[in-house]
Amino acid sequence: MKLLFQTKLGALLAAALLVTLCAVAANAQEPSRLQLGSLDHLAAKASKSVDVNIDERLIRLATKVFSDKDADEREIKKIVAGVKGIYVKVYEFENEGQYSSTDLNTIRTQLGAPGWTRLVNVTSKKEGNLEVYLLMNGDMVNGLAVLASDVKELTVVNIVGPVDLDKLAKLEGQLGIPELGIEPAKKTKNDDEK
Amino acid sequence: MSTIRTLIVALVLLCLTCVNVVHAMFPVGGDDFNSVVKMIEQFYGVKHTGIPFLAKAGMKVARTAARIKGGTARHIAEAGSVKLAVFENQEFNGEFIKFRNALNAALNQTWQPLIQTLSATDEEQTYIFLREAGEKFNVLVITIEPRDATVVQVNLSPKNLALLLKDPEGTGKAITEEATLIDQE
Repeated sequence: MKLLFQTKLGALLAAALLVTLCAVAANAQEPSRLQLGSLDHLAAKASKSVDVNIDERLIRLATKVFSDKDADEREIKKIVAGVKGIYVKVYEFENEGQYSSTDLNTIRTQLGAPGWTRLVNVTSKKEGNLEVYLLMNGDMVNGLAVLASDVKELTVVNIVGPVDLDKLAKLEGQLGIPELGIEPAKKTKNDDEK
Repeated sequence: MSTIRTLIVALVLLCLTCVNVVHAMFPVGGDDFNSVVKMIEQFYGVKHTGIPFLAKAGMKVARTAARIKGGTARHIAEAGSVKLAVFENQEFNGEFIKFRNALNAALNQTWQPLIQTLSATDEEQTYIFLREAGEKFNVLVITIEPRDATVVQVNLSPKNLALLLKDPEGTGKAITEEATLIDQE
């Protein structure tokens, strides 16, 4: 009986440890979460830098405090439901050439990982280059990254979790996401047939 | 008997695991307002001049005034929740990246960084941190300019927290302005 108790206790301890480790690991590892720390050094050169961190806890808070009576808040609530994080870095410079291709490539390398797909049918009303990437898991979008670069500006937006690209425009100017002027291309007949 | 004992152990372990997970997700910390004020004083070699008590009293007066006006005057912070430290007409020379890293390291266990804006050319820094405190939400706004700085901690209602989350930069600025203006009244 004592042996049985010890075996059960051991199994319970292992299960408890596993649950704790899973919770910690889930918190730490998200495949669609980009490591943006390599850009931090740009803040010293930027005329303005903005760093927004809205993690899963804050997303949950947002869905809790956003009102269903307010149309705007109701819409944001719907869009971010299921999202696990929104991370934004914006750097504005007074002069050109303050960031290098290496800075961009550290992000692009991460976006070259399996699952990430670069969208080509996205345009921006703003000048400069705009790259939009989706992390696909089958037909599901599990993450989004926007890399907007201009000679005097660099913006990275990373949304962790499921997000609808068509609705991304509605988040611009909200939750610290800057105006990107994203315009997803209209669906063509061929797109529907695919 | 042994089944009961196993059940009790299982329950205790489950509780411990839950506490562990909840603690990891919602770390609870003490009052870091004074620590941040001290950190600024030490890092920049400055002294604060604001008295939190006056801000609290000021906020109550302002609330009463708002009621007399028929509720037209709006306030973001909850009455009596404002803690304010003001640094006036002093030099804030120092590597702000170093300061940002030190600040984040000091607060990351108990506060959630929401938005941080830095301007190397204007030598301005703004940091907004958030944390849940039971039913309330604490917000810490730190603004450092070349000659002045403010540290404001307030409680927000869920409605005003929604405002902050929707527009962190604008609402953070409004929280600081409200606290400092009321302090001067």
